[in-house]
Amino acid sequence: MTRPITNKVEAHYNGEDLGVSEGLLVAVARLLDSLIEGETLEVLTENPSVADDLRVWCRRAGHRFLNATRENGKSIILIQRGFVRRTLADPPEWGVRMPRRGDTIDMRDWQIGRHATIAEEAPMSGALAPRGASLEEGGPAIEFSIRKRSDIWANAISELYEQATSSQWVGARDIPWQELAPLDDEVERAVCQIMTFLAENEYAALYVPARFIGQIHPHFTEAALLLSTVMVDEARHIEVFTKRALANGGGLGVASAATQLSLASLLEPKDFSIASFLLSVLGEGTFLDLLAFLEEHAPDRTTREICRRARQDEARHVRFGIAHAKYTLEADLSAARRFSSAVEARAEFLKSVSGVGALIEESLIIYAGGGMSASSLRAGTRRVAELYETMHANRVKRLAAAGFDFDQADRMSRLHTPNFM
Amino acid sequence: MTRPILMGAVAYDPKVVPIWDGIREYIAEAGPGMDYVLFSNYEAQVDALLSGFIDIAWNTNLAYVRAQRRTGGHCRALAMRDTDVDYCSVIVSGTNSGISTLADLRSRTLAVGSRDSGHAAILPLYFLKRQDIDPQRDLNLMRFDLDVGKHGDTGASESAVLNAVASGQADAGVVGDPFWAKALEERAVDGDRIRLLWTTPTYHHCNFTVLDSMDESRTTPWVEALLKMDYNNARHRPLLDMEGLKRWLPAQTEGYRTLFEAVEEQGIE
Repeated sequence: MTRPITNKVEAHYNGEDLGVSEGLLVAVARLLDSLIEGETLEVLTENPSVADDLRVWCRRAGHRFLNATRENGKSIILIQRGFVRRTLADPPEWGVRMPRRGDTIDMRDWQIGRHATIAEEAPMSGALAPRGASLEEGGPAIEFSIRKRSDIWANAISELYEQATSSQWVGARDIPWQELAPLDDEVERAVCQIMTFLAENEYAALYVPARFIGQIHPHFTEAALLLSTVMVDEARHIEVFTKRALANGGGLGVASAATQLSLASLLEPKDFSIASFLLSVLGEGTFLDLLAFLEEHAPDRTTREICRRARQDEARHVRFGIAHAKYTLEADLSAARRFSSAVEARAEFLKSVSGVGALIEESLIIYAGGGMSASSLRAGTRRVAELYETMHANRVKRLAAAGFDFDQADRMSRLHTPNFM
Repeated sequence: MTRPILMGAVAYDPKVVPIWDGIREYIAEAGPGMDYVLFSNYEAQVDALLSGFIDIAWNTNLAYVRAQRRTGGHCRALAMRDTDVDYCSVIVSGTNSGISTLADLRSRTLAVGSRDSGHAAILPLYFLKRQDIDPQRDLNLMRFDLDVGKHGDTGASESAVLNAVASGQADAGVVGDPFWAKALEERAVDGDRIRLLWTTPTYHHCNFTVLDSMDESRTTPWVEALLKMDYNNARHRPLLDMEGLKRWLPAQTEGYRTLFEAVEEQGIE
């Protein structure tokens, strides 16, 4: 077989007896992609239909079928690449290799290749695609309102994500439900009311991130992924708190108007940083102390395990809240004033809410004291008073960790809703 | 002030609307401006061209030939798709039909598309005759006259042809080469049942037709704008993909000669 001397061949494929619609087009199209306009692909084939089929296909695909020569049952086909770019995108990257941590691959190490470049401000329109992918032109312009890194980011965000995914647990399996046994009626009533209250709060903690996830530019993937783990956590908390209220002869308690008002105000902020500050730093932060208190004084191992596991999850949410507040405060000098204004505005809005509410407070006292006897109530009352002190002291510490000085932190903590979250 | 150019196209598919809306918008941005109207069939569109209701007709080859015949050759082709230049038809045969050359078609059943389709009926039969196979005498024709008036644009008859061959109802069949290429690309061709037997000589397919009397100063800017559409431009690509081309080219007309002969020979009005 002789080949025309004038045709330099830049790519070659041996199709053996493969038919055009049996897969040959995959190789032909991909090899032509790798050429520049005017370069030539040579296809060797033993299949008698291939030459005619490729001739027809080339016309449709915008390539030039140069020539087919046939000898001894084999054909050599020459195709010249046309001007058409099959995909209107930059070439994808190649040769990227994340380091290993033992047997695993960790998000902390995925800032590599094009994926490593995180802009302070994401492009105006985004794509539902990983950062660093070669984006084809002509796609839809999807607008995301969270485009500034300081509006969503936190240091160590990848580490928090890995912790979150590796700490997942199952509400049906990982709580010792089989140990649940009848309690004193007053104690069970208190447990049921507290579980109802906890579940109410977790609805807010679920719905707040839910309102923002869809607004996060996928450029800041880590934030969207981390918040989705937060949502899964909160869903599980709602599940186990509700199950506990329903599981032991009591039932769901009262969802008080004051609690509902306090929680509804968390849904108001349109700015993620403010919403996160109110919810995660102040609200969930306070919740950590509440859950630790409930764990310590739990009347049974089932309730204790529920509170312990929920507290571990909440601790991650609080860490993210503080880390994000710190990031924002450092990036934006006006953020401190916006945060404190938001705390003041919320306090003003909630000025009718003077305490956690009688039903909750009484339930906490009975729960912490272990019943309604005089000595139980005395102990419970003292423990709840100590809880309030602990909550305030720890709120101040968290606010200081986020970057506020003591006076600012103390003032903000005192303005925080008495409804805990 | 003269009104913008009014173009006619045949609504063979719902996508015709986004195609011409998109091109109208593009042409308006490019300068000359245009509007379009849709017809349900090519005969009405040719009537509208001849009566002066439209300025430009986006015609199939058969519609172009009819316009030329009715005006005594006083029409002009302006532009066409790159895919219209070297159009051809392919004859496919059942892999187990025992047909391996054109001569084997004699006395067998050949499925053909709509009688008003240049590529799925008229021209392949014309070219077969030049291979010494007389469709009337030598073949048992299985005609799929679907969507008549749309000159084969819908592909419905070609689809029926491929099904007839693949199922063994027909021994062989005729489709346009873009239809075959699309079927190959979509892996809709089962090589164990159906394969390409023969490719006809090439001919021209669609073009934008105007009457001779149409002032070139009106059509030239329109054609120039059209030719600048770029397949590597993300805004143009979806329009060009829907219309089945990679670029617009100035019209050529030599490739219509065979169709003029074919309609004469086959007595098609």
